[in-house]
Amino acid sequence: MNPLIFTTILMTVLLGTMIVMMSSHWLMIWIGFEMNLLAIIPILMKKYNPRTMEASTKYFLTQATASMLLMMAIIINLMHSGQWTITKVFNPTASIIMTSALAMKLGLTPFHFWVPEVTQGISLTSGLILLTWQKLAPMSILYQISPSINLNILLTMAVLSILVGGWGGLNQTQLRKIMAYSSIAHMGWMTAVLVYNPTLTMLNMLIYIMMTLTMFMLFIHSSSTTTLSLSHTWNKTPLITTLILITLLSMGGLPPLSGFMPKWMIIQELTKNSSIILPTLMAIMALLNLYFYMRLTYSTSLTMFPSTNNMKMKWQFETKRITLLPPLIVMSSLLLPLTPMLSILD
Amino acid sequence: MALVHKLLNGTCILRKCPKPSVASYPFLGTRFADYCSSSLQKPAPVPGKASSQRKTEGDLQGHHQRDVALDITCPEEKPEVSFDKAIKDELKNHFWRLKDDIVNRWIGPEGRPLHEVLLEQARVVWKFRGKEDLDKWIVTSDKTIGGRSEAFLKMGKNNQSALLYGTLSSDTPQDGESSRSGYCAMISRIPRGPFERKRSYDWSQFNTLYLRVRGDGRPWMVNIREDTDIIQRKNQMYSYFMFTRGGPYWQDVKIPFSKFFFSNQGRIRDAQYQLLLDKFWRLGSPRSRCLHIWCLVSVHFLACSQPPSCCILMAEREQVLVFLLIKALIPS
Repeated sequence: MNPLIFTTILMTVLLGTMIVMMSSHWLMIWIGFEMNLLAIIPILMKKYNPRTMEASTKYFLTQATASMLLMMAIIINLMHSGQWTITKVFNPTASIIMTSALAMKLGLTPFHFWVPEVTQGISLTSGLILLTWQKLAPMSILYQISPSINLNILLTMAVLSILVGGWGGLNQTQLRKIMAYSSIAHMGWMTAVLVYNPTLTMLNMLIYIMMTLTMFMLFIHSSSTTTLSLSHTWNKTPLITTLILITLLSMGGLPPLSGFMPKWMIIQELTKNSSIILPTLMAIMALLNLYFYMRLTYSTSLTMFPSTNNMKMKWQFETKRITLLPPLIVMSSLLLPLTPMLSILD
Repeated sequence: MALVHKLLNGTCILRKCPKPSVASYPFLGTRFADYCSSSLQKPAPVPGKASSQRKTEGDLQGHHQRDVALDITCPEEKPEVSFDKAIKDELKNHFWRLKDDIVNRWIGPEGRPLHEVLLEQARVVWKFRGKEDLDKWIVTSDKTIGGRSEAFLKMGKNNQSALLYGTLSSDTPQDGESSRSGYCAMISRIPRGPFERKRSYDWSQFNTLYLRVRGDGRPWMVNIREDTDIIQRKNQMYSYFMFTRGGPYWQDVKIPFSKFFFSNQGRIRDAQYQLLLDKFWRLGSPRSRCLHIWCLVSVHFLACSQPPSCCILMAEREQVLVFLLIKALIPS
């Protein structure tokens, strides 16, 4: 793609998300979503092939439907409140429709079916943007309307997302699909605590983005898209293999790694609000995620899978420099000791 | 009508003869005939009870021919069809498969442990050991569009292979729009899960298609279709040629997936794309471009493998074009 055009498109993606996050007028928020959607499509189709085209089509259709629902909710809210400001959603119908629209944009259950298909169909770099940057805008709107969201609907979607994210990722051998189901589960954790303490949602989002960025960059570095190709990295770059192990365990929420922090905080917040069964269920269902992460680490890092050669160098020389990989790895694995500082969030 | 057809496919029809009476079910006539023409298990002929029609045919040839041709009913023996039992059996079957799906999910991908899937070097996907293996394939020819070619699939000798045979005719159908004709193909059925959900094959661990065939010395084509949810990709497929030797010995054909070239609506596209191996739907093997001749190929098995020497992701465009040029110069 022409570098100038690519830069323009990328800037439009950034600008769209910024407009959504900084606007207080519902129409501007909707415009920001549309700018973001239309600009991300050529990025998803950067490496054109029929599968990418199919994935982009699916993404466009689901996101456009969500935008339509959002517009309908905005107009219903306007009819009842007479104003466009994103302070409070006055009408319960508008609130439910808005929640559904944002859930569709985020990929929460039961609107999660597009996430694995789209993520699998696009390249690793596009998948990285899809699962990290594209979550910021809808999550910021959910954060702002959190006082008027129906708690039952949100918690049901959250619990089902954690369950589906764990169950769906169980038998995957495609890494992008594994990351997609991981994203669904993490979105479930974020939305579960949204009504009780929205700041924890933001903390979880931040740590999730760091871990997902790290994982994708490690996959890009080793050019791996399947479990089998990842299991051969011990032969080429043993250090990357170790880092994959650490990052995957962090994503699974194992202490003493960073991924444990948001889960701990969320469970603590839920129990403070006299909710016992819900965090118990969530913690049990998180074990499903941990199971497939452990399986991935077992085949990648803990065992030496038979390889086709004994050489440490690949037959084709690639020089891949991944910027920011070392600080990302540090942040996605060593942030747990900073947890006492989080008391400033209260 | 489609529901009745589906139910009849799964039902245990209580019958003494594989030839239901069409006259008894006039409204089911066409569907019933289609159902009967699929490869149902014929009961062994009982001595002394064989009909006069069987006695006049007599020899193994006649039995073989009737294995694949449309069964014609014995007028005196009527099948018993129980719809309640059919519905119950079908539901039980689907829920059983759903239970297997859920249990297999705990074991690993495709119901096998992950390390088995990752360490697999070759997998036989289709083999021909019985009639149920023939049911996994559809045989088609240009007869569906009004041509005169015919193709049949039956079990080979000793039930170790399948035999695809028939006649190819390049006589065009007289419909005013077809200018070329003459093809036959055997196409695999789309794998289905519980409640007839479409499944796809995941061959991302492999890089080569491995077939053992014994052909008639003529070139065949191997087509691969990917699972797709959108209609724009309905006519897209990946193809490669398979040249058969025609000898009495089996021929091992290994085609790397990187060799397959991309085509849309039967035309090879300038822009070629890598064949992605995680969503296979169908494998087909057509034969075309002949005058009125017999065609014959035996298939022992079709498998996918992962030879370590093959690591190319996609065939180069120039390679494809040169290959096609050679094909055009040599008359078939």
